[in-house]
Amino acid sequence: MASGEVAPPVAAPRIRSEWIERFGGQMLALVASLAIALAIGSLLIVGYGESPITVYGAILRSSLGDLDGFGYVLAIATPLIFSALAVAVCFKAGLFNIGVEGQYLVAMVTAAWAAVTLDFLPGPVHVVVILVAAMLGGMIWAAIPGILKVKTGAHEVVTTIMLNGIAISLLAWAIRSPLKFTSGPTGQNVDIRTDNFPDSALIGDMGKMFGIGPGAHLSWLFPLGIAAAIVVWFLLRRTRLGYEARAVGTSQGSAKAGGISIGSTQLRLFLISGALAGLVGMQQILATTGYLGSNYVAQLGFTGIAVAFLGQNNPIGIVFAAILWGILSRGEVALQIKTQVPREFIIILQGILIMSVVITYQIAKRRLAARQLQRAGAAGALEDSAPTVEPEVATQGES
Amino acid sequence: MPLTDIAVALQIGLTYFTIIYLTGLGGLYSERSGIVNIGLEGLMIIGTVTGAWGARYFTETVGLGNVWGPILGLLVGAGCGLLFAGVHAIATITFRVDHIVSGVVINLVAIGLARFLSQAFFGQATQSDPGGPHLNPIDIPLLSSLPWGLGRAFQGLSPVVIFAFLMVFPVWYSLNRTRWGLRLRSCGENPEAARSLGVRVALYRYQGVMLSGAFAGLAGAFLAAEIIGNWHEGQTLGLGFISLAALILSNWNPVRLMFFAWLFGFAQAIPLRLNDAPVINLLPPQFINMIPFVVTIVAIAGFVGRVRPPAAAGRAYEGGGSS
Repeated sequence: MASGEVAPPVAAPRIRSEWIERFGGQMLALVASLAIALAIGSLLIVGYGESPITVYGAILRSSLGDLDGFGYVLAIATPLIFSALAVAVCFKAGLFNIGVEGQYLVAMVTAAWAAVTLDFLPGPVHVVVILVAAMLGGMIWAAIPGILKVKTGAHEVVTTIMLNGIAISLLAWAIRSPLKFTSGPTGQNVDIRTDNFPDSALIGDMGKMFGIGPGAHLSWLFPLGIAAAIVVWFLLRRTRLGYEARAVGTSQGSAKAGGISIGSTQLRLFLISGALAGLVGMQQILATTGYLGSNYVAQLGFTGIAVAFLGQNNPIGIVFAAILWGILSRGEVALQIKTQVPREFIIILQGILIMSVVITYQIAKRRLAARQLQRAGAAGALEDSAPTVEPEVATQGES
Repeated sequence: MPLTDIAVALQIGLTYFTIIYLTGLGGLYSERSGIVNIGLEGLMIIGTVTGAWGARYFTETVGLGNVWGPILGLLVGAGCGLLFAGVHAIATITFRVDHIVSGVVINLVAIGLARFLSQAFFGQATQSDPGGPHLNPIDIPLLSSLPWGLGRAFQGLSPVVIFAFLMVFPVWYSLNRTRWGLRLRSCGENPEAARSLGVRVALYRYQGVMLSGAFAGLAGAFLAAEIIGNWHEGQTLGLGFISLAALILSNWNPVRLMFFAWLFGFAQAIPLRLNDAPVINLLPPQFINMIPFVVTIVAIAGFVGRVRPPAAAGRAYEGGGSS
């Protein structure tokens, strides 16, 4: 942020310095918000009569101190990578997919169906079929807001909120009626869930190879998540669709003038987003539990939004943000055992972190835009350097 | 099927109406001032945990008795909702964070904050002891003595239900017949014009958002303290989002909101009391729970009339804040 107040004379190095400035600005904002969150967290910790160093130390030791702990961290991060990528793909085009939540619930239902009914398939084939079923489930649920947006202009934020509500009921119905367990205990207090999936449906434990205990449930989905991040990065940076997405996200008017079909771009992004969202629940049902029950972990879609912002909607940044989130979440157990601070402190810390990230990024973006504008004025150029404030494009009240 | 069943369903529907209507009114103030608030669910959650604590604390620990204790409990819920909405206000108005982003964060943080507070209040993270104090239920005169069991619908209602019904008058009046309401609405429709007339846009938007927190918090406190009798995690069941649906369908109008809040409230009661009624028994109860969301999607897609939000809702306003 602190570099060049004065406009450099030639154009070429200026682009580079802007890039450095933007990157530096983002890093500074990230460090600042981390510092703010840790500082506010420290105040809370002192309120509980503990030392911040002890508490933060306990969190770090539990998550990074040994291999097992790190295995847990990566397992927690796995669904969040898919979820945040799903959010980021749409966000590049100024679309706000807050329906990842519903999309992954529907995907868990379609995946559970494939797992239970297609049990005649051999091992690896079955898993692949289940993953495809999950991605299709997510895509169907994402296609609805996509089509409605393109055809009727219905705002995707509102439609996805409603579809989330429908998905919760749909899942509740599915595990009570069509997919309800056929074998196993019966009675009043039995968990409502599907049958246990056959072994061929489960995703192997990856931790064994690295000496991580089976309790972490670290699966091959984690490397798949990294691969997905790389694919999304390539898609957004190096393909025509990525270019079109950025054009639509920056200025719909210019995109249209440039011959880009806005509707088709938005719909394709929604479908990709839905496919990614479909994989969010797989860690849970294929690696951790081996069935789909009413005690499923919810909120992963919304947490994905937080992680996407923490990673600045950059696919690689998202992987690191998800791991950071995992480090904090893993710390819950350590707090419980080793300190007086209740484990819920972690969720508060995550909340403060994400709020301060959102606010500091916003400030950084504005300062950068103001500086660019100033510089453009100083250079006497009439170039279009209007700040590209993505979220505002996303929610302009047109619903 | 006896009429009593319908009456009981109506009575449960009135309870849900109260939650949806109060929360919806909160959303109404916020969005009419130009700040989209999808954090209603989270604000309601804060209301549930603090309201349940407040009712118990003022009734049992302070010993204010069975009238003032529960009333203060409701006020604690409303007050904490108001304070928590302040986070949304600071983020969206002062720092111009995207309204949807901030709303999502509010909902996420609320779940954690509720557990945190519950741990502090009740010594357990996900619920409080059942059987908390609440206001004495009342029968509505005349209506409660309707024949054929229909009077059952109006018996044993919490006074808050009546309060919610009466709220339509002050809310409608404040929005449509006072200078304050006109200014608040102008901030939501055209903040530039409002500012050029000397209206402090940020100030009005703060008020709108904080009011939304107070209403949603009150609704949450009502749910936890008055209806259920204790706090437990996940008891809001997405009612904040249903309120949002009702608000959208009402076209941001407090009188129409009443109708949709009642409709969706009754829809909530159907699976609880009427699931063996003809026609309804063909549908799984989960499908009935989907009704509010499906109706809203159909409406928002423009298939039944037009839904028009306040023109400037969701847009950051550059002029009014600090810096």
